[in-house]
Amino acid sequence: MQNFQQNLSLACRDKIKQPVIYCVLVIILSLLPIVIKSTYVIQIFIIVFVYIIATSSLRTIATSGQVSLGHAGFMSIGAYSAGIMSKLLGWAPWITIPLGAIATSAIAILVGYPFSRLRSIYFSMISLFFGVAILSINSVFAEYTGGSYGLTGIPPMFIGSKIPYYYYFLGLTVFSLLFLYRIESCRIGMSFKAIAQSPQVASSIGINESGYRVLALAVGCFIVGLVGASYAHYNTVLSHSSFNFLASIYLLVYMIVGGIQSFGGPIIGVVILVWVPELFRDLKEFTPYIFVAIILVVVYVMPKGITGLFERVKLWIKMRREGKVITHAS
Amino acid sequence: MLLKIDGLTKHFGGITALNHIDMYVNQGEMVGLIGPNGAGKTTVFNLITGFLRPNIGKIFFDGYAITGMKPHVIAKLGIGRTFQLNPFFGEFTVLQNILASFYLHPKSNLWDAFFNTHTYRRNEAYILEQATEILVQVGLYKVKDELAKNLPHGYQKMLGMARALATKPKLLLLDEPMGGMSSEEIDFALTAIQKTRQQGITILLIEHRLQIMDFCDRIIVLSFGTKIAEGTIHEIRKKEEVIKAYFGIDHAT
Amino acid sequence: METAVNLVINSLVLSSMYILVALGFAFAISIMGIFNFAHGALYMVGGYICYQLAGSFGLNQWLSLVLAAIILGSFGGFFLERYCFRPFSGDLNRTIVISVAIILLIETTANILFGVHVQSIPPYISEILKIGTISISADRILTIIIGVFLLSTLAFFIRWSKTGQQMLAVSQEPEGAILQGIRTHRISAIALAIGCALAAVAGSLMGSLFELSAFMGDYMLIKSIQLVILGGIGSISGVLVGGLIIGIIDASLPLLTNAAVTEFVGLMIVIAILVFRPQGFFGREV
Repeated sequence: MQNFQQNLSLACRDKIKQPVIYCVLVIILSLLPIVIKSTYVIQIFIIVFVYIIATSSLRTIATSGQVSLGHAGFMSIGAYSAGIMSKLLGWAPWITIPLGAIATSAIAILVGYPFSRLRSIYFSMISLFFGVAILSINSVFAEYTGGSYGLTGIPPMFIGSKIPYYYYFLGLTVFSLLFLYRIESCRIGMSFKAIAQSPQVASSIGINESGYRVLALAVGCFIVGLVGASYAHYNTVLSHSSFNFLASIYLLVYMIVGGIQSFGGPIIGVVILVWVPELFRDLKEFTPYIFVAIILVVVYVMPKGITGLFERVKLWIKMRREGKVITHAS
Repeated sequence: MLLKIDGLTKHFGGITALNHIDMYVNQGEMVGLIGPNGAGKTTVFNLITGFLRPNIGKIFFDGYAITGMKPHVIAKLGIGRTFQLNPFFGEFTVLQNILASFYLHPKSNLWDAFFNTHTYRRNEAYILEQATEILVQVGLYKVKDELAKNLPHGYQKMLGMARALATKPKLLLLDEPMGGMSSEEIDFALTAIQKTRQQGITILLIEHRLQIMDFCDRIIVLSFGTKIAEGTIHEIRKKEEVIKAYFGIDHAT
Repeated sequence: METAVNLVINSLVLSSMYILVALGFAFAISIMGIFNFAHGALYMVGGYICYQLAGSFGLNQWLSLVLAAIILGSFGGFFLERYCFRPFSGDLNRTIVISVAIILLIETTANILFGVHVQSIPPYISEILKIGTISISADRILTIIIGVFLLSTLAFFIRWSKTGQQMLAVSQEPEGAILQGIRTHRISAIALAIGCALAAVAGSLMGSLFELSAFMGDYMLIKSIQLVILGGIGSISGVLVGGLIIGIIDASLPLLTNAAVTEFVGLMIVIAILVFRPQGFFGREV
């Protein structure tokens, strides 16, 4: 029985390691608006939160072996649904935002079944075209969506200052990250990774391969729909350029630069690639060069992204301490 | 009969891989499937486990008609298998491989898994216990935290078998489980297979080596997609000339 | 009757230009094994180089076109293949990231040099041909002729030259090609150079028929991927067929509906192909 109890506590290993650090971080972030007076900086934080949520949800889909190049398109479903519902039907944000997320997830499930049959590169291609097609449908129904001119006049969530938005998005980020982390560390996430590594073996142990692929897509799209719908009520204006295929590719870049193999990868990637260029915003139209420089450094020097570098450093320190020889490549 | 196959035929383009194969496996038996390369043995496995659909023929398992069912459904019904190549999850550790393989028994549903309910935690603890037992049984406990892809070849094969055992199958399909093993590893694998038989699991295995054939209740011989012989090891040996003509096995037993 | 003739001509213009650009993209996939997302941006740069040479340096427009092709081709063959793609061959993720870096680099520079205004290269030939009662602008005909000429030359090159055959070999069986002694890096460089040069020509021609903008590359990239998927990854004749189909659709549908629906139809076709026949018309079995 004692063994069983031991096992029970081991099974609860799914808990987050070092939760104290993250609590402290959240507390610090909560206190920031008191210290920072610049609205501009607050807005940067909000954008960073939005990208962190979007990129992390992309990564969850990627853990099942499906690299989606149309994620921004799914985000636009959430955003435009919420925008249209509140503008045309007059519904409040606390209704439109969950509905926007559900709509995105529902469409993901709908297209997920035919898409999930495709192997990796073909899935990426079809997701890319799906993302473009969503915007195309958007243009076709331009009378409701504003087409390429954009959707304006969406009722905002909060009137006045941006600070409430800051707390809302901070809260949404914490919720989304906890949600996605839980998925990844429990058996669901394990099954995702199993499918990604060997669909055959996964099927042979009873995992419904296409079912789980659709689940991964649905989960990731739910979260990105949620943040998209929230973004609509924050920005009050939606335009195609925020959700085009280049936007999808950027999410992918944030994820890869941060490191696709670790949960924190997308977070690091977004922080480095959104914050650092912001620090150089005085360069105006030359600012994108900073972004390019960061990407080039990471892609040539760190094959597994920034978190991959952290892992290698940790391993190196461990090896030095134990005096072992490195037996296999990281 | 636990497994019954009627008239199984499979074409790949212009090639007939399997031509009207009839075979059966009884509960508790260990049946060997042998034949030269390209005889269609792995194709039979792929058809049984739903990775391929037969052109003609029916497959019955445990009272169910399983022809054309999806692989994960067939796994649920109680057929486990190993694969010749890459029989595991490379990026997982050995322990994670086995833990992941306990997907079906006990089955936690999505709700329980996500919300970490008491049922889920109890299931996971039970799984951890069982996984440890299996690892000890196949001798992989000492490498449980190694990445599966870094293991030496023999260990990887044992991992494949351990993984298949985790599905608590009624019928276990072993596809060349001892391929590439050294002689100590083979002895070890043989013991492990014997133990599995004692647990009441029916085994159908593909192998070249004759050591394992001695333990089989029956042998089925395939060649170029047809069954050319069936019987006990002694009966097959009598047809030695026929067999030698087909694949000249070194009869050093 | 005039509409019909113009329809055919417009279809051929669009088809030939799409094919010119898409081939470069297809070469990158089948010969180098990479998804060069920056290909659209390269097409755009080709057009801008021609514009600069003809405009600021006052060179003859035809000379500018040829020079643009040479410059972009050399850039692709010598620099891009060696430093940007060869280090990452096989790693899809990093290839995408480096492509994005290239796109950003090119588009930012274009933005800095030319701003957000839209430019246009003046027409190569200003005449209007009159056949019977039908007026056709000569520069469209010329574009088609150039396109067809280049494609035929390329087909000839692939079929009858040693390098061309080596390119075919690498695209079908890269490992076998190495064993045969084919220097795959050199072949990749040549393939990329040809692809970039063709894209530059297309950019220069389209920049005159339509207009130059920093975003024309994104549009062409999507078209290129559409063509490659329709035709099948690994098939050059597939790109031709795909180009004709998409060109005809893009030229004819706007007469019936608007641009948004036209784009949607084109996308739906590609998605349908991916769902029901992912290998396209002539591609290898998936």
